[in-house]
Amino acid sequence: MILRKFSVYTVVLFFLVNSAVAQDFKYQSFLLDSSLTANSHAIIRENLTEVEVLAVDKMLIRRKKIVTVLNKKGDGYALASTFYDDNRKIKHQEAYIFNSVGKEIQHYKERDFKDQSAVGGANLHSDDRISYLDYTPRSYPYTILFESEVVTNTTIFIPPWQPVYGYNASIENSSYRLLNPAKVPFRFEERNFEGFSLSKKVSEYELFYSVSKIPAYVSEKLAPDLEHFTPKVLIALNDFSLVGVTGHATNWSELGKWQFDNLLRGRDRLPEETISKIAVLTKDAKTLEQKARIIYNYVQEKTRYISVQLGIGGWEPMPSEDVDKLGYGDCKALTNYTKALLESQDILSNYAVVYAGEEKRNIDSDFASMQGTHVILNIPDGEEDIWLECTSQTMPFNYLGDFTDDRNVLLVKPEGGEIVRTKTYTAPENLRESNTKIILKQDGSFETQFLRQSNGVFYGNIYQLKDQKAAIQDIVYKEDWGHLQDLKIESIQYNDDKDKQQFVEELSFTGQKYGTKAGKRLLLPVSFLNLKTFNTAETKERKLPLEIRRGETIVDYFSFLLPEGFEVESIPQSANITSEFGSLDFQLNVIDGGDEKKIEVIRSYQIKKGSWPAEKYQKFRDFISEVNHINNQKAVIITNL
Amino acid sequence: MRNFLFTLFLVAFSVANGQDFKFGKVSKEEVLEKIHPLDSTANAAILYKSENTYYEFNQNAGFTLVTDIHERIKIYNKEGFDWANKEITAYQSGSDRQKIVSIKGNTYNIVDGKLEDEKLHKDGIFDEEVNKYRLKTKFTMPAVTEGSVIEYSYSIRSPFLTNLGETRLQYTIPVNRIEVKVKIPEFFGFKLHSNLKSRLIFNIDKSGDTFRYTYQEANRRSNGLTRSSDYSSNSIDYNLAVYEIKEDNIPALKEEPFVDYLENYAAYIKWELMYTKFPNSPVENFTESWEKVTKTIYDGSLGKELSQERYFKKDIDELLKGISNPETKISLIYDFVKNKVRWNNFVGYYADNGLRSAYKEGVGNCADVNLLLTAMLRYAGLTANPVLLSTPDNGIPVFPTRNGFNYVISCVELQGQTVLLDATDPLAAIGELPKRARNFQGRLIREEGSSDWVDLIPSTVSEEKVYTYFGLNDGLQLEGKASKAHQGLYAKRFRENNGMSDEEYLEKLQLKLGQYTISDLVVENKVSINEDIKEAYTFTAKNPVEEINGKIYLQPFLFNAVQENPFKADERNYPIFFDFPFLQNEIITFIAPEGYILESVPESGIFQLNGGEVKYTFIVQQNGAILNIRSTLDLPKTYFTPEDYDGLKKFYSQIIEKQTEAIVLSKI
Repeated sequence: MILRKFSVYTVVLFFLVNSAVAQDFKYQSFLLDSSLTANSHAIIRENLTEVEVLAVDKMLIRRKKIVTVLNKKGDGYALASTFYDDNRKIKHQEAYIFNSVGKEIQHYKERDFKDQSAVGGANLHSDDRISYLDYTPRSYPYTILFESEVVTNTTIFIPPWQPVYGYNASIENSSYRLLNPAKVPFRFEERNFEGFSLSKKVSEYELFYSVSKIPAYVSEKLAPDLEHFTPKVLIALNDFSLVGVTGHATNWSELGKWQFDNLLRGRDRLPEETISKIAVLTKDAKTLEQKARIIYNYVQEKTRYISVQLGIGGWEPMPSEDVDKLGYGDCKALTNYTKALLESQDILSNYAVVYAGEEKRNIDSDFASMQGTHVILNIPDGEEDIWLECTSQTMPFNYLGDFTDDRNVLLVKPEGGEIVRTKTYTAPENLRESNTKIILKQDGSFETQFLRQSNGVFYGNIYQLKDQKAAIQDIVYKEDWGHLQDLKIESIQYNDDKDKQQFVEELSFTGQKYGTKAGKRLLLPVSFLNLKTFNTAETKERKLPLEIRRGETIVDYFSFLLPEGFEVESIPQSANITSEFGSLDFQLNVIDGGDEKKIEVIRSYQIKKGSWPAEKYQKFRDFISEVNHINNQKAVIITNL
Repeated sequence: MRNFLFTLFLVAFSVANGQDFKFGKVSKEEVLEKIHPLDSTANAAILYKSENTYYEFNQNAGFTLVTDIHERIKIYNKEGFDWANKEITAYQSGSDRQKIVSIKGNTYNIVDGKLEDEKLHKDGIFDEEVNKYRLKTKFTMPAVTEGSVIEYSYSIRSPFLTNLGETRLQYTIPVNRIEVKVKIPEFFGFKLHSNLKSRLIFNIDKSGDTFRYTYQEANRRSNGLTRSSDYSSNSIDYNLAVYEIKEDNIPALKEEPFVDYLENYAAYIKWELMYTKFPNSPVENFTESWEKVTKTIYDGSLGKELSQERYFKKDIDELLKGISNPETKISLIYDFVKNKVRWNNFVGYYADNGLRSAYKEGVGNCADVNLLLTAMLRYAGLTANPVLLSTPDNGIPVFPTRNGFNYVISCVELQGQTVLLDATDPLAAIGELPKRARNFQGRLIREEGSSDWVDLIPSTVSEEKVYTYFGLNDGLQLEGKASKAHQGLYAKRFRENNGMSDEEYLEKLQLKLGQYTISDLVVENKVSINEDIKEAYTFTAKNPVEEINGKIYLQPFLFNAVQENPFKADERNYPIFFDFPFLQNEIITFIAPEGYILESVPESGIFQLNGGEVKYTFIVQQNGAILNIRSTLDLPKTYFTPEDYDGLKKFYSQIIEKQTEAIVLSKI
């Protein structure tokens, strides 16, 4: 059946090519190649990006996309919108909608597009705006043709070519053209071309790439980002402009130097008053680290984070004098300010550009171009550098957490740029240890003393809990431990040790009905608190590699004091499993102290950081399912009353 | 005399407290305060807020509605920093726009024991045109640290004279003092409404005042040859109605998990325009009753839109050819509209595109879609009427006002019954409404203009029926069959959550049921929305069965047990809403394997709430090796008061206890 459909398609195409009707046929969606419809919510029929460099500071970007949307979930691929700002103007925008037989049903001209500011909720101000088409599909499938052209004086960002940019969308044709009548020298780099049939034409000043028929990818959890396994071409001009500020760079050293000279230099002045205040504060500090610690604390107490993206396309930090006066700034401003304060005490530090986020994304060390989404501060200090997140008023000194850990960043130094790696939090460092004593009562109720220490990335994900209102703290535990009935949190104590970067929670709580009643017996789950692993119950064949971004270690100790009159009938066997993904050690003991009978459980779980090919996924699933099985075991206690 | 004394006392009191609310008169004590004296959990507090609203008259420009706002806010800690960022929204319509002017601000800190202030400068103020209708002015206060007191004032100048909107009296932080003054010239008549959902009561003083406006008038004279002017001074006196609110110590609006639209519970005053009465013009009445509001809307354009039928006549004639059964007609027209005109996600009771062009283009707002439906039903000879309503984010209207409605659906009468229809939701069956339209009550407008309330909260109970039949095989693995019928709004919910291919649903089910292996999955009626969803599958699993010392333990509620109590917090200040009334039925049949006997089984039980209004029954029957459990949760109402909270929590905990009880099998 599938075959037949396909042959009809070919035959029809044969007759229609170059005929007048062919124009229409291109937009039909009743006959589609089944290799492209499989797993697709949308088919990118054509996606052309054309970049024309007219001068070092003038560039046109033309886009044309034809997308057939097969269902509601594919609507996102039909978005017709263009971002613009004071330095990026829309020259042309137009869209057509076609029904399934390829008949035009709507034509939208420039004036039909709606205009809106694109200042995100988190931003206080920027000049970003968006012009977009507000189209409500009437039925599926439909096809949209969208064309746009923008002109900009910023050529430091040349759009990369990344034909696959989302899941559940296949690509029929995608192409990229770099036109360069101004003959500006440029660099480019290809990634992940293996296994794709691409055509390309490269000359001294121009580029052309195209690819066709890439089936849709389906998203899978614990998989690397698409850009790590689908084709990508990176392009950069050697002579460029950022909103009119020109420069020349062919490598990171040059680009870093340009950034320093044009964005940072001279923006680090401070009032004398502040300098002398800092000098007084740090006068007793012996080491560089001690001084930096005092200065970081000063910044945290004095400033707060406000996102204001202004100045050289949003890349220039607010002068440190202004931050000193106003007490706020964005990541660039606060980092630059901290840097200036350190410098006033002769401490050298570096402005470090990074891609922030839990997903670790590197600044591409092999290809120098304008990159990054965030700025942090680097302080060289002997063997190990110090890193500061200057936008947080609460983070400990030299703590990055999972926001900027373990990735390549660009140090913008006066002598030139340099790529270095931020701190990695290893599995033993990401340690969460708990000690829980449970006193069980005859009626199934229980009283608990709980103590937990969180280190490494665990620290960063929990320490802010102490600043939440009591009602929120209360509900956080109740949600987390939803399996415990009628939980009443009696007391909560936190100890946030910023020097050790360790967060300690001490709780006492009570609850009802622990375990499952079965006549005279009580089935006790021996894992009093859940172990959060992964849900790997899906049955589909794994296609994408497995990636675990961070290792972690979780050690829990549970001690159950049995109610009077109860005996242990049975406990699960201790177990120990190890695999390339991690390990679980589960030890159980019955302690019979005469009147006091206890079950003791020690659960040590470790998951490793790493990448594995798709074929290994089944092994991973087996490991997780065994971990879950061991965890879910129960002890039986029986009453003699 | 008494008044005088009182005033004196007040002055003395404020001085003693070091409280001076004049702009710039922030005291050291205010900056030094570490925690709020009445609410230790407050991250910030509004020390003072004044809001002065009045009409300014200018000979050239006429009236402008001005509101002067002054706020003084204490920031106790870092969590309160957000209060140092202010965002003011203004509206524009064509060339009329509200203007935010005269912004000034100061931040006060104690530096080296001295009170210092830092001014808000222009570069900290940002204007943004959000879209055609909305403008935003944002500013952020300088030099804010823990303990800072910030103060700012600004004015809103509005050309929208008849729109006083809302006066907010409560926030998520405590307010120490609020002063509101609204002066309204006699040309406008407003009525005040408090939010009945808030438990706070405010005193509103009403008094009168007069205002004299003096202006110059040029009198031109011409005698044919020369022209001359002389000026005379004129004046107009008019009366003012003055409303004042002065209140101390307003507690913070308590934040609680699972409260939709917390703002709906805040204390506020809404201003309803009653009439305008301009000199030399007749009195124009606006609203005074729901009856009238409804009529105004109807006469606006709604009635006219409904009366036109030419553009769809042919298509409907074709659609209904040979059909006389009214139910079939409704069903055909309802499906026809759903397929023909897509909802563009905009609400409103006035047609955006106009019915005719919505029909032609196939897209429209809520009014386009549902008025079209109503017009077609009428054309087909049915008694169909529009029903105006308010979506939950628009709140429940507190007084008769056109703004109290923002949505319209259709209602058709059938054999003395009313059936509600909303064609904006492709998954709503006849008589079902999407959640956005299920808000309290709506106003039905009949063809001749009369109107009445109709209930929008579903009154019919939606039912879920589950049958599980299982046993253990020789390897002591669970093996069985499950089937589930989703009826009414359960079916709608299923379709909303699982509008996907069978393959995808299987994957989702598999993920949800984790340790079970699912096969032979069948889902029926996914597309036919007037039918129940029926799903069935077979399953096997090893993990749920615990074999310990020759005994087998297992929980008979395999899939649908309530595992966690949805009511977790110790207390509740706001009402509790369920989506719809429901009945959950589950029948479990378990057959013990050969060689084993049922040593212990759960006990039957009946649990009730509010005298049987809500009921859970759990009936266990054992017949040799066969165990039957029948579990029924009957929750026929959707609204519970905060006083019901403890009862509900306990009730759910009893359900969980029953549903998680295990059976024990032992070897013979």
